[in-house]
Amino acid sequence: MYKEAAFVSSASMAAELELVAKVAKDMSISVKNAKAIANRAGAKARGFSPITDFIDEMSIDTMKLVSAINSESTALSRVAISELRTREAYTKFIQVKVKSNDTRHIASLNASIETLRVKQEQEQAELIKYAKKLKSLMDDISQKMAVANVIVSNSRIEAVNAEEYRSNLETIADDIDKSCETIRNRVNQSFHRLENAMDQWKRLATDESYKYL
Amino acid sequence: MKATNIYDEKHKWIMFGRDPDKPEGIIDTNQYLVKTNDRALILDPGGIEIFSNMLAALLHHVSIDQITDLFASHQDPDIISSLGLWDQALPNAKLHSPWLWEGFIRHFGLNSIEYVPIADEGGTIDLGGVKLEMIPAHYLHSSGNFHIYDPIAKILMSGDVGAALEPAGADIFVDNFETHTDKMRMFHQRWMPSNRAKNDWISRVRKLDIDMIAPQHGRIFKGENVGKFLDWFEALEVGTVIN
Repeated sequence: MYKEAAFVSSASMAAELELVAKVAKDMSISVKNAKAIANRAGAKARGFSPITDFIDEMSIDTMKLVSAINSESTALSRVAISELRTREAYTKFIQVKVKSNDTRHIASLNASIETLRVKQEQEQAELIKYAKKLKSLMDDISQKMAVANVIVSNSRIEAVNAEEYRSNLETIADDIDKSCETIRNRVNQSFHRLENAMDQWKRLATDESYKYL
Repeated sequence: MKATNIYDEKHKWIMFGRDPDKPEGIIDTNQYLVKTNDRALILDPGGIEIFSNMLAALLHHVSIDQITDLFASHQDPDIISSLGLWDQALPNAKLHSPWLWEGFIRHFGLNSIEYVPIADEGGTIDLGGVKLEMIPAHYLHSSGNFHIYDPIAKILMSGDVGAALEPAGADIFVDNFETHTDKMRMFHQRWMPSNRAKNDWISRVRKLDIDMIAPQHGRIFKGENVGKFLDWFEALEVGTVIN
């Protein structure tokens, strides 16, 4: 269970998923090697070609998804920082209001507090919107990795028939398997980070102590 | 936070400081408010840690809409790290600060307030009829640095010049100048880098008609202590770490 601040979680996700793009790129290179071997093996590795085509396509899709996740998580991170600053100002203004309620000009602070309250609500709604979008993009990657698992298992069966090419193809299948595992783990970690951040934002949105006015 | 009227005629000067709720370990600061009939200017609004107490103290004297201008003598955090919060409170205000520090001060968070860069030679802030002069004080201690002179109130807000390091709750005005120098010496020798800049500032300030020198830390010099301070500062070697 992550206990880090929500804005740290949102900033860390982008960095964590950068590595996924790199792994997906490596995976694409492994698949191209597998394709070359399958071509050389000819009829002995006939079943291998559609598998490599699929994984190649999947690794390219994963890179595209990571790129989309990057831009969404950068936007999320920006809003998270802005929300943090808005909240800090709001909290300080409320402190002034509570401490100095009988002060002569205290009412002049109301408009600023109201502006901040509205801004904070908008930013919290924006955070949830970005977070949901990110969750769905991460789900897409996870689904692709689940399918990749099945495909890699099939590729091992096909490799058995490839005679002298068998060990090369099995090594490549192992590499792809490892890549899928790394991607799954990274996405999983990011997913937990996102859920941690979302929990905090949802708690803040319903926190009655913020509803002073 | 304690508020003290230091000038109260057609316009007002109020000093804020000696905050008993200030967190431990941060330097005590003096903030000043110049208030005319319908406008107000905060001089060196202070750090982020004292923002709540400063705002609460201010609202005893002015409404939020009356605060139209801020002045930051230089870029230090005890001067203006609260800017991001003022930016949320006073979206239509102007911040007057050295041109040299604009790109740096914006790091404190400036989205709504207008940054009005002060040219090296200084300028004037017209606060609805009360004209305040921005006096160059470069290298005292910051390389882009200004003080505020009010020719009607005869007050010079002198930033770090005249500052003293004192325990919490010190008096507002200097009473015994001779003993007070012990609290100023190290501050000036260590923070002020240039004898040339110091002497140039003294020669310009001596030409002004001054009743009070009001620094950002420590006590205010009033009456004969103004001249005593200028004489003491003139005789003091600064930048002594190099020596």
